[in-house]
Amino acid sequence: MNHVLNITATNTPAVVERLLQVTRYRGYELAGLQLTPRSDAKSLNITLTVSGDKPIHLLTSQLHKLYDVQQLELVSAELAVLSA
Amino acid sequence: MKGAELVLQVLQQHGVDTIFGYPGGAIMPIYDALYQSDVKHYLCRHEQGGAFSAIGYARASGKVGVCMATSGPGATNLITSLADAMLDSVPVVAITGQVSQAVMGSDAFQEIDVLGLSLAVTKHSFMVRSVEELAATLHQAFAIARSGRPGPVLVDIPKDVQLAEIAFHSEPEAAAKAAPIYTSLANAGKARALIAAAKKPMAYIGGGVHMAGAMVQLQQFLAANPMPSVTTLKGMGSVAKDNAHYLGMLGMHGTQAANLAVQQCDLLICLGARFDDRVTGNLQKFAPHAKVIHVDIDPAEINKVRFAHVALLGDMQQILPAISAGADCTEWLSHCAQLKQQHGWRYDHPGERIYAPLMLKQLSERMPDNSVVCCDVGQHQMWVAQHMRFSSPRNHLSSGGLGTMGFGLPAAIGAKLARPQDTVITVSGDGSFMMNVQELATIKRFRLPVKIVIVDNQRLGMVKQWQQLFFNERYSETDLSDNPDFVALAAAFAIPGHCITRKDEVESALEAMFTWPGPYLLHVCIDDKDNVWPLVPPGAANEEMITETKA
Repeated sequence: MNHVLNITATNTPAVVERLLQVTRYRGYELAGLQLTPRSDAKSLNITLTVSGDKPIHLLTSQLHKLYDVQQLELVSAELAVLSA
Repeated sequence: MKGAELVLQVLQQHGVDTIFGYPGGAIMPIYDALYQSDVKHYLCRHEQGGAFSAIGYARASGKVGVCMATSGPGATNLITSLADAMLDSVPVVAITGQVSQAVMGSDAFQEIDVLGLSLAVTKHSFMVRSVEELAATLHQAFAIARSGRPGPVLVDIPKDVQLAEIAFHSEPEAAAKAAPIYTSLANAGKARALIAAAKKPMAYIGGGVHMAGAMVQLQQFLAANPMPSVTTLKGMGSVAKDNAHYLGMLGMHGTQAANLAVQQCDLLICLGARFDDRVTGNLQKFAPHAKVIHVDIDPAEINKVRFAHVALLGDMQQILPAISAGADCTEWLSHCAQLKQQHGWRYDHPGERIYAPLMLKQLSERMPDNSVVCCDVGQHQMWVAQHMRFSSPRNHLSSGGLGTMGFGLPAAIGAKLARPQDTVITVSGDGSFMMNVQELATIKRFRLPVKIVIVDNQRLGMVKQWQQLFFNERYSETDLSDNPDFVALAAAFAIPGHCITRKDEVESALEAMFTWPGPYLLHVCIDDKDNVWPLVPPGAANEEMITETKA
């Protein structure tokens, strides 16, 4: 099942690697990634689409712990199917 | 001042007076600044050992441990220890030198992508890009390391940043305070209702309780709600020695009473623990009748492996009093007391040869109050957990989550420096001891009176035990019968030692070890046939323990 995560993150050099490392290690596959710097370039808007059989809270709770993640919003799975 | 001097200024602002490390090219400016600093540096002989010493220092004292290494191999040698700190939630700040930014990304000499390597083994990591951000980054590193669920933080500092000039501002307020802990007591009522209704409650205590400074609140909770308790490897020593309802460690090598009672309980109150697979055995069959109250500081642990009927997040010191409900379960307590009596340890081992569980019990009874015991990993580690008693988890340093051989000796160095007034003992195995044996040189240099007990069965004992039980006795690469002469090895580092092989030598050997004022190595030879019992075999439920008689 695809899940779409809207993430606002501090624009640090390793932030995308951190998101992807946690996603891979916790057992989810990357299905899409969009990244736009915000106007001040200090933050990034990231849309992360992942797929996996495990409950998505097991991933979001770990991503929340990343220091560079400011906000994380799980868009409903149905929406994810529509947009896929 | 230079960036390198600023590093030491910031360390001192955080009260750091002891660091562990090893110099090298890309960190030379910091070592140069160290030359005239009040910060005391302890030279390890391998960066892994230095970082383990920082972990031992942190775990024995509750402070942040600090270690340093140069770029490239110095930094990669830290990785195992950072992983150890990550899995056991130990607050450590690791500072690594990096090649100058002018050559970064060119595969320069001793250049490796340390920030990239750090991702999986740290709570957070930084690469400092300019001297202007150096102080703030270091403050942040300390704040992150000790806040919430503690963990290791790495700060990679390029050589040009170390050499850059900056005006020093004394900024005491910048010594960033750890973020306040958000505690929600919204579910406290539900927890109290479950506790009041439970007929067979059980407290399952992990390392999170003492790390939250909630040892007092725990004793009060257990006094106001008399119930049996069990601890994880990291939680050992959390329950006061005079608590009659304490059943010992649970899990793969836990006590039979602990495992049987947990399997029978109807309410499991998990305090600062995480349902590790070495604790639960077969997860589907773990505590099958129990509802779960889970108290933790890390939201990611709630419902990670076991559903919690009630979860409370935040500061254990506030939560424990809030969930006290006056549990009343006399029948259950006497049932558990009976289990404890029925399945007590037996020390009537036949023959003359030394029986490690009995020797460790003797060691436990003979060691001064508040001694720190640092273990390595394997059979001896489980025997220590089974047969020694501790008055605080800070007195039992054992590599839990990562299970890192080579932990014990360097951790003991850190513990001794953190608590010079207390006796520090390493209990190691003949396999583990050799993994960081070079740290004997650190003990020699600083004349650290660490007591070393090597439990020697001339095998990689735990692997051998599994080969015996589960791999048709095919002893692949676990024979260490060509071990060095450990007493002679210690003598090469000016550490006296003694070797014993018979039960009747144990008491006098322990006495000699404790009487000797300096470091000492006691080489204890045991039978390679002795195994760790009980054992929950892989895939089995925790009540399906194999005991010595069954095996």
